[in-house]
Amino acid sequence: MITLFEIAERTQAGEKVEEKKWDMEFFKTITALIEKYEIKIPETHCFINRDNDLVERAFEAGVEFLERMGIYCITTRRRIKLTREEIITAIKEAPTEILMGEGRDQRVWRQRKIEEKEKLNVCPGHHSPFTEDLAGLVVSNFAQIPRTDFIEGFNFSKVDGREIMGPPMEVYASRRQVAWMREGVRKAGRPGLAIVYYPINTRAEDLIGVMDPDHGLRRTDGILLSLLPDLKMEQDMLSAAIVYDEYGSFKISGSFAIAGGFCGGLDGAIIEGIAKPIAAMIAYRDYINYTGVEHVHMLNARQILLPWVNWARSVVNQALNRFTHTICMRWVIPTSGPGTALNLLESAMQAIEAPINGMNLYAPRQCRTTTNHGQTPLEAEWMIEVSDAIIEQGFNRQGADDLLSKIAKRLENEKPAEGYDINACYDLIHHRPLPDYQKAYLSVKKELAGMGLAIDI
Amino acid sequence: MEISKLPQEQQDLLKSLKKAIVAIDEDTAKKVAQDIVGNDIDPKIAIKYAIAGGAIAVGDKFDTGEYFLPHLVMAGDLMDEVGKILEKNIPAGQLEKKRLVVIGAVQGDMHSVGKNLVSTMLRSGGFEVHDMGVDVSSMAFIDRAKELNADMIALSSLLTTTMPYLKEVVEDLKAMGIRENFKIMIGGGPVTRDYAEEIGADGYGKDAIEAVDEAKKIFS
Repeated sequence: MITLFEIAERTQAGEKVEEKKWDMEFFKTITALIEKYEIKIPETHCFINRDNDLVERAFEAGVEFLERMGIYCITTRRRIKLTREEIITAIKEAPTEILMGEGRDQRVWRQRKIEEKEKLNVCPGHHSPFTEDLAGLVVSNFAQIPRTDFIEGFNFSKVDGREIMGPPMEVYASRRQVAWMREGVRKAGRPGLAIVYYPINTRAEDLIGVMDPDHGLRRTDGILLSLLPDLKMEQDMLSAAIVYDEYGSFKISGSFAIAGGFCGGLDGAIIEGIAKPIAAMIAYRDYINYTGVEHVHMLNARQILLPWVNWARSVVNQALNRFTHTICMRWVIPTSGPGTALNLLESAMQAIEAPINGMNLYAPRQCRTTTNHGQTPLEAEWMIEVSDAIIEQGFNRQGADDLLSKIAKRLENEKPAEGYDINACYDLIHHRPLPDYQKAYLSVKKELAGMGLAIDI
Repeated sequence: MEISKLPQEQQDLLKSLKKAIVAIDEDTAKKVAQDIVGNDIDPKIAIKYAIAGGAIAVGDKFDTGEYFLPHLVMAGDLMDEVGKILEKNIPAGQLEKKRLVVIGAVQGDMHSVGKNLVSTMLRSGGFEVHDMGVDVSSMAFIDRAKELNADMIALSSLLTTTMPYLKEVVEDLKAMGIRENFKIMIGGGPVTRDYAEEIGADGYGKDAIEAVDEAKKIFS
């Protein structure tokens, strides 16, 4: 695979391109490839793609798109050009399994295939802001979920009661985040559980400052180094990727495409959604990616569901699982907040999609999360419960599509619910939802059971 | 904007221009704009009806998912070009000044998607926008706003650790005694209306569509 040092050199020597020119070229290129590869939305609405030929064409479109565009370095405003051979070699050489954690908490996180029957790997939480008073408690709550394979860090605005501002305070806060994570997993009785550093900022010093086998990030832990939308990278992240590649930590990336942005509609988002995780693998060595397609209006919680978004997401993940080694995850991001039945219904839809399309489960949280108002352990346990039921019941793409249609019908006239702060709907001391949330949970379980999901009620 | 009292031929031209802008049909829009100038139609009416009205229609198309961010960029470019053609006939001093917004992601923040959407939507919404990109320091915002005599500084932050830089801009403006010279609007993932009020910003946009409404409300 092309070395990170080679990528670094290309960020300095590649063609100089103004960002606006890149953005518009991005759209024009993707538009041309939509036509060339006939990436068309089917006439009949569905949630899960069943057209294997389309998946193959979409993959070819994604590779050609990456070859034609390259990756844009926003630091130097240069294009990192890649040859088709470099792209294909990277796809072939990437691992399909990542070993993480240590001792009895060591886990193998691996790529899944479409409709596979093994249980999913799980990252149950964080990637959401919390206040420092809750830090240790929240981590230990998520870590004590038995199926947890790794747990990701979180953002916060104050440390030691003081507002974090500027690189030195950020470095200090970054180290506190990882220390809280280490303490939290110890409290949960799982000291070897892999943790993933969630960058509280993307400066190189913040990213690298947490490296510390004794008190910080271990070689068996990971770091989130996400490629930016529209195939954009930054030198500070690349610097961190180079360091962590030698150190041994695994790296993950947010590699979904946002329909409504410069990729255009869902057809364009399919192409970007396939190209982006491959680019993240090449640029930062991100082998685990949360993948697929989101829509800008859903990310902004304007609407719970938009037609064809789930379908587009399934095309991307099926392509990545069939033709690359990308280890895909479903980032479960309902528009409704925690503590609500709507959140659980939305989360269930995404947890149903995951095993069918070949995705593991990652950090459920409200899409527009604010401090202490993004997630509770219940949503994580719920998504595991639902995905397990889907696998045990032997759902295939058609069956899952039917079930998703029923839930979508239930949601069609609903508006995203605001939800509650974690302490207002969840008891972190006893690791259980508060009575109202428990009631909502049981009610949603009954609803899904009534729709045909074999789930204990 | 009511145009029914104009002669039918003028009404048709204005409707054609608006239609071409909404369809992002560059050639037709420029040609019709020239025809409007040639027919001595009040350019102020043309700007209000075709450009401002077209901008609203373009925004609606984004809202309904028919248009995407690149369409907003193209429509914004086209509206600028058409505006320049129409403005030729407006005597100096009578040109209605667009509200000028300096926008960017604050220091330490490299996230551009939300900021780009707001920037483009504001431009389509009739504002003149100077986009400073990402990782912009407080003083860079202030210097540019002073230099351009801007009406508003719009700030984006996606990280909790870059939110303090939103406040820094407000505080720096206060310290320099020029806080009242500029309206401040903020937004971004972890930012809330409560936070905007807490730091003394004038407005907050939850998303790009709300940001444009908020900006218009601030200047209404």
